[in-house]
Amino acid sequence: MLKFNDISLRNKLILMQVFTSVVVFGIVFGVFIITDANSYKQRKVDSMVSIAKVLGTNSISSIQFQDPESATQMLQELQTVSPEIIRSEITNKEGQVFASYSKAGTETFSIPQILHGKSYSFVAQQLFVSNPIKSNNEVIGNVYLQVTLTELQRIKQYKYELAFILLLVALVFSFLIAVLVQGYLSTRLLNLVNVVRKIRKTGEITKAVEDKGKDEIATLIQAFNKLMDEIRENQKKKDEFIGIASHELKTPLTSIKGYVEMLNMLEQDPQKKQFVKKALNNINKLESLVKDLLDVSKIQSGQLQLEMKEFNIDELLNETVNASQMVSETHRIVKQDSPVNEMIYGDRQRIEQVLLNLLSNAIKYSPGENTVILETEKTEKELIIKIRDYGIGVAPEEQTNIFERFYRSNKVAVHISGFGLGLYICRDIINRHSGRIWVESAGKGSVFNFSLPLKHSPIQQIHA
Amino acid sequence: MVAGSLTGTISAQNAQQEANLKAAFIYNFTKYIDWGSYNRDSLFIIGVAGDSPIMQSLNAIAAADRINNKRVIVKSINTGADIADCDLIFISNKCRMSLNYILSKTRPGVLTVSEQPGFAEAGTALNFVVVNNRLKFEANLKAISAAGLKAGSQLLKLAIIVD
Repeated sequence: MLKFNDISLRNKLILMQVFTSVVVFGIVFGVFIITDANSYKQRKVDSMVSIAKVLGTNSISSIQFQDPESATQMLQELQTVSPEIIRSEITNKEGQVFASYSKAGTETFSIPQILHGKSYSFVAQQLFVSNPIKSNNEVIGNVYLQVTLTELQRIKQYKYELAFILLLVALVFSFLIAVLVQGYLSTRLLNLVNVVRKIRKTGEITKAVEDKGKDEIATLIQAFNKLMDEIRENQKKKDEFIGIASHELKTPLTSIKGYVEMLNMLEQDPQKKQFVKKALNNINKLESLVKDLLDVSKIQSGQLQLEMKEFNIDELLNETVNASQMVSETHRIVKQDSPVNEMIYGDRQRIEQVLLNLLSNAIKYSPGENTVILETEKTEKELIIKIRDYGIGVAPEEQTNIFERFYRSNKVAVHISGFGLGLYICRDIINRHSGRIWVESAGKGSVFNFSLPLKHSPIQQIHA
Repeated sequence: MVAGSLTGTISAQNAQQEANLKAAFIYNFTKYIDWGSYNRDSLFIIGVAGDSPIMQSLNAIAAADRINNKRVIVKSINTGADIADCDLIFISNKCRMSLNYILSKTRPGVLTVSEQPGFAEAGTALNFVVVNNRLKFEANLKAISAAGLKAGSQLLKLAIIVD
């Protein structure tokens, strides 16, 4: 069932306005019809009482001189003048019928019994009226009239139809007005909502939301803009900090690495050499972290430059597989499929960075397994490279988030070190090559895919 | 109101009941007759010619009701002179005087009521007749206006008009 809260703000505003006007018009028309019917009834009562009075006055002498024929004739004539009077009766002082006339087909029942002493009464769409006949302040009889109110039914019917049509017209108008007016409120709110949605989707804080109003919505928008300004400012500071920090870290690190490498070459004592090697390993890890930070900083500030040129992809794939294999003591890295035999136009070093990153991730996130598979798939327009592992996989709700900056999976039971920048850098590099990067994972194991556009250039000689 | 309590047919009634009905009619006639400038004194005098049971009926009305807001006196007419101070005279079928004699003695301002066929044509203002066993009355418009009286339309619409 549709809940009121599920309806969009725009439709809610329209619905409320239309509902309000329907209720108001409904009440107005209802009152209008009731008042109209009542005033018609009152007028009918007044006119029938007048007729009864005239009849009474004119039948005084007939009663006094015991001449029912003349009274009957009068009632008969009345019928031709007022056809709505379907029965008329004159009784004498004792309540006996002195003269009466009724239209053919009229049910005869005692009017005095219906009236119960009242001067008029509405029963079953009929009006009953009685009026005493007085002569010298002495009641000498009564006039009774039975009147059909078919005209009232007709009038009511007409008024109902009219009210219904007017209600429909009002409905259409209030809908149109609501559609026009709601925009004034909802457009501004929806504008804000759209901006929020966009920010949530892209993570990019765009320009301030514009609004000229001075009401609560304007306050909300101003607060939102201010908040966004602060966030943007903080982000900028953070990016600046990362840039400066990574630069400042890199310089001494390079120097440390140089000296430790030298020490590694010079050291002969196996015990000491082992310590030096461990130190060098960690220096390399630290260096790659600092490099990642530097890359992110470059990406953020738009300083990441690609050196585009054509290179042989098979060469690169073999190199990276071998390099990764040398580092890994636990996993075997298998390259499947025949050579691609294609030249790729791109930054060889950066593509290598992506491959190494994905391969090292595949090894990191599949502890206890022993195989990582690299596959290629060639289509008309692009080359797809797939790195498959049999590890812990990626939950469906995380599959888009893992490419964000500093995203660290909180679903992963095993602790894996890193800043969570690798995939972010990979995505940026691949996007700059007009390619796509995505992950496929169903529970156990995952496949990281990236595509590169193919130009189908002739293969150059493999350099030695 | 007396007439209302009586039934309309007269065939099954005895003479007294008929007299009561006629007396009630006479009483009701007075409500529709305008005496104009006549009948200025404080009494309304009804004269009855002939020994009729209507005397008793009229006396009963005189005791109970007023005519034109005046006390009602009922008296018997035996000679032409008795007519002089009457406002209404009833010429019963027992009357021994001739109609012409009575009419000749009647001055303007007196309503003449009779109860024999042809009397209205002969000159009385109102005359009782029985039609289809019902008591009706004839009205002679010339006689009424000659007497200087005015009859109401509600009365005349029920009357059988004669010349």
